[in-house]
Amino acid sequence: MRKLIFTLFAFILLIATHKSYAQSGQELLDICNMVAGEATYLKDFQIKLDEAKPGEESPTARYSLVLSKNTQYRFSVCNSKDYSGEAIIQIFDNNRLIGTNHMVATGKTYPTFDFKCSSAGVYHIFVNFKEGKQGLAVVLLSYVDRF
Amino acid sequence: MSKRLIYLLLSLIVLINFSSCKQKQGETNYSDEFKIPDSVLTQGELEISEEAMEDIIENVSSPVEIAALIKSVGVPYSKEYLATTDYVDHYNTNFKQALGLGIFGADLGYQNMYNKTGSVVDYLSAIKTLAEELHVGQFFDFTTLKRLATNNQNLDSLMYISVQNFNQMDRYLSENNRRNLSTLIVAGIWIESMYLIGEVAKNTPNPELSEKIGEQKIILGSLMLLLKNYERDPKFKELINELGEIQEIYKEVTITYEKGEPEAVEEDGMLVIKQNDKQFIEISNETLMKIIDKTVEVRNNIIQM
Repeated sequence: MRKLIFTLFAFILLIATHKSYAQSGQELLDICNMVAGEATYLKDFQIKLDEAKPGEESPTARYSLVLSKNTQYRFSVCNSKDYSGEAIIQIFDNNRLIGTNHMVATGKTYPTFDFKCSSAGVYHIFVNFKEGKQGLAVVLLSYVDRF
Repeated sequence: MSKRLIYLLLSLIVLINFSSCKQKQGETNYSDEFKIPDSVLTQGELEISEEAMEDIIENVSSPVEIAALIKSVGVPYSKEYLATTDYVDHYNTNFKQALGLGIFGADLGYQNMYNKTGSVVDYLSAIKTLAEELHVGQFFDFTTLKRLATNNQNLDSLMYISVQNFNQMDRYLSENNRRNLSTLIVAGIWIESMYLIGEVAKNTPNPELSEKIGEQKIILGSLMLLLKNYERDPKFKELINELGEIQEIYKEVTITYEKGEPEAVEEDGMLVIKQNDKQFIEISNETLMKIIDKTVEVRNNIIQM
């Protein structure tokens, strides 16, 4: 009988723990907006990707944005703690990679970075999760200033 | 005693599960909560694929950026530039309501940038009315926004929540086969932002403002692509023709590029990516005035409808 009671207690604890730690997209967005600091929120992208299948490339979310000349933007990333995936952002101008938050040389991934856009136009944002892991993240675009 | 305890524990489990279900229902699952009648859904095939539409729709026009530029060049706030909210009842079709939502949204961004919370409530009310007519009022947190505006407190939150609410509306419309309305909202924001910057540039000539208007040649190109998807609708066709006249004037604007090597540097612990491209936007005063005048005409046609 004691075992049964103990099992039920453990079950309740499991449910309660799961409940309190599950993060919603809105929570991530609010956190991300805090991470962005003084910058003014413009747009957000909520990305949920499955784990890469063996031998296949990491699933990637893709967005296109119109960005303005002489404007400094901030990209902030918030990864859900419910998944192991860590989001990597890449900015492309047509087919040319302009920048990323992941430095291959150092292995460092920045949770936020600024992009000084000097040419108005359409830019493509690619987001995937490091090592093709399953992940949930919010990427936030905000306006910093003109330069 | 043990039976009672087990019963109590089982009740607790049921209660937790129930509250969990309730919480899930409370989360944003608008597709279930707000069924849209078939009559308001887009009918007919799209000219370009949904995937291609997604490629070009994001951030087409940002009232925040335009308002920030106007403020940064030192031009004082003027209520005269804003569209009146007195005749919100005149926006009596989905087409007009979506355009009006965009126009008032841009005006809201302009007022927020200058912290002019006194007049913001009228615009919030107009936006709420139009959003409800379009069945997207659920995304607009009017109570919180009104409280923030009335108390003149936490103005950053006012900006954050209002922009976020617009994004939520846009996302919902796009994901629920009502991208035509989302496109009209974007068009309304662009037209009003162009009107605002044009009026300011007319009264306070400034090279940055002229260049910003010239830069819109690229943005208008993307917007026209979106609108042309619905050109079989006579009202869309009419709007496309009007904006087409502005696009025709834009042919006089020359944009050239000089490619540079992007660089990533660390400044105060923050990663900064510098594009280092150069873009040259050539726009004569005559062309500038033609664009401004035509924009006024298009915008006034919409707000007087």
